[in-house]
Amino acid sequence: MTPRMLGTQFMLPLLAIAAIGPQAHAADFDWMKFKGKTVTFLANNNPVAQALLTYKADFEKLTGMTLKVDGYQEQQMRQRLVTVMNANSDEVDAFMTLPSREGEQFAASGWYADLTAMSKNEVAKDYAPAGLSQALLKAATFGGKLTSMPMNIEGPILYYRTDLFKKCGLDAPKTIKDVEAAAEKIKACDSAVTPFVSRGLKPAVAYTFSNVLHNIGGSYVVNGKSNLCSAKGKEALDTYSRLLRDYGPPGVVNYSFQQISALYRSGRAAMAFESSNELRTVMDGGARLKDTGLMPFPAGEGGQVPTTIGWGMAVSSHSKQPEAAWYFVQWATSPEVQKKMALQGIAPPRPAVANDSEYRKWIDEEPVRKEWQAALDVLATKGSSEVGYPIVANPESREFIGQAVQDLILKQKPVDQACADADKALDGLIAQK
Amino acid sequence: MAALSAPAVLFTVGMIAFPVVYTVWLGFQTFSSTGKQSFAGLANYTKLISDTEFWHGLWVTIALFVLSLALQLVFGVWLALVLFHARRLSGIVRSLFISPFMMPPVVAGMMWLVILDPSLGAANYVLQSVGLPPSDWLASPTWVIPTVALIDSWQWTPYVALIVLGGLQSLPPSVYEAAQIDGASPLKTFQRITLPLLLPTIVTAAILRSVDLLRFFDIIYITTQGGPGNASNTLNIYGFRVGFEFFNIGYASALMLTLTAIVFGAVLAFNRLRGAVAW
Repeated sequence: MTPRMLGTQFMLPLLAIAAIGPQAHAADFDWMKFKGKTVTFLANNNPVAQALLTYKADFEKLTGMTLKVDGYQEQQMRQRLVTVMNANSDEVDAFMTLPSREGEQFAASGWYADLTAMSKNEVAKDYAPAGLSQALLKAATFGGKLTSMPMNIEGPILYYRTDLFKKCGLDAPKTIKDVEAAAEKIKACDSAVTPFVSRGLKPAVAYTFSNVLHNIGGSYVVNGKSNLCSAKGKEALDTYSRLLRDYGPPGVVNYSFQQISALYRSGRAAMAFESSNELRTVMDGGARLKDTGLMPFPAGEGGQVPTTIGWGMAVSSHSKQPEAAWYFVQWATSPEVQKKMALQGIAPPRPAVANDSEYRKWIDEEPVRKEWQAALDVLATKGSSEVGYPIVANPESREFIGQAVQDLILKQKPVDQACADADKALDGLIAQK
Repeated sequence: MAALSAPAVLFTVGMIAFPVVYTVWLGFQTFSSTGKQSFAGLANYTKLISDTEFWHGLWVTIALFVLSLALQLVFGVWLALVLFHARRLSGIVRSLFISPFMMPPVVAGMMWLVILDPSLGAANYVLQSVGLPPSDWLASPTWVIPTVALIDSWQWTPYVALIVLGGLQSLPPSVYEAAQIDGASPLKTFQRITLPLLLPTIVTAAILRSVDLLRFFDIIYITTQGGPGNASNTLNIYGFRVGFEFFNIGYASALMLTLTAIVFGAVLAFNRLRGAVAW
């Protein structure tokens, strides 16, 4: 048998069987299969989980299972997870995870159950796993294993005041240089307003800084070495810190999303570079509804490479009932539930849901929602999920990025020294296996 | 009798001894970023010596401890004297003074975070309205330690004052009567009688506050997370991050045991002082 014959007579039928396999399983799928069981879900009390858990009773009715929710704030949720996982405990069946942050680490620790097979074989007819953002699925795949299913799509975007831009004779910025020029002009035009605000708090900096680095054309690692002291790396550090130091609010080194949203919502910032998830908070009260424009962060020499991440839903490798937990994960990431969540302002990680007529109607109600969705569309197509270093010690790497930016904001070091110190520490982290 | 008390003894041993022994054991282990564990001997402790972040954390911890304790003892004694001599509305005044330390530290931290926000906070508004320059407060590497010490002192000075007030109320009136007959001024009476007699009570308050101050965590975690840079990175914050954010549980255990030893040392030193000033 020639190789060509092997391909046509043997492999093709196998591929065909594999392709229809999911449908065959879908036909047998029974949501009540695990009726009477209790699934424990470790949740982060963020808007994503809050929106999801609005429909907790629907899940329990659909499956006959009980959903026990163990909810904490983000950092406390991770502490709980670390404790549970280090004890090899089966207390948690499913948990929320941020693959861009802890994915490498949790995968290397063996904390994620492999969802590859279950997501193909144990799915309801309308689940459509292929309809989920392929970029986010890829970002949640480590060593060939699918570790979580995307719950939402998010990333930092630029919120800007159209009325102030008009007053100061400015057009919407198209490049990073335009952002800085606009900030300079606004500073002279309206001294009561902070021209630009973004994250300055050390552990939070990487989220927004990564977007600037990538737009400028920089990268974190080249040939296995930290690359912050490259020309592009230094330019990114310098640009980001200069925007915050010269045009940001006093005390910006302690700013994370809460402070940024509060400042912008109160009308005291002209531009805010912050998460797309903050739309609801920023628009709370309605004061910014009619004078806000939204866009992905403007391009640099490297083009427009927005940061795109999403919370994922994972099954614990220590769970004694991974299949039942998978049913919960599947329900939580199903098109139906994600559509309901989308109507609460949680950006869906499914393009089909984003094009759903009911969702489009909700989007069309306000111009700012249209711009928000347009920005998210760019994030979905062009985004990079690299926030901090793509290494196991990613959370620690964010500390050193934040330290370098803070050193520059506070003028404690020149850029050469700040990047060299960061590179030295980061090379140590990269070398850790 | 021994059999009856056995459950209580076992419970106590289980609740106190086990976590300590387990932490000691963890301190001799090393955990990779992926959670792989191996015996490390004294490596975690020798690493402390060359870890600049540890020495910086120790310095920050001591600076906060000294500044906060001094503020709380001085103002606590003053407040106790005011409350002791207050005649009108003493009940209401005492209830008001107690309220800060009844507040959960997280709430206190959030409240001060808003008040001290350099852009939106009331503190800078007040400073500017009286013609003073605004401050970066918690965002300034120079001012973050004094600011955190002030927040903690706002919350815990009334607690010190209550302890000292109890001490004041137990002082023998005959000594004051004798001083009055001898014509001692109020200042001399305070210097020569009140303060020396109150010293054991003040040292007790210092011991109680020292334990908390050396383990300083909640207010910093809420307000600065150890920043700006690492300007307010106390040993406790550093240990927490190493353990629960970077998952190096072995090194974090070594850090926390070292901090525990420092706390014990401080308590022992104060206890000796208390013995020396007892009357």
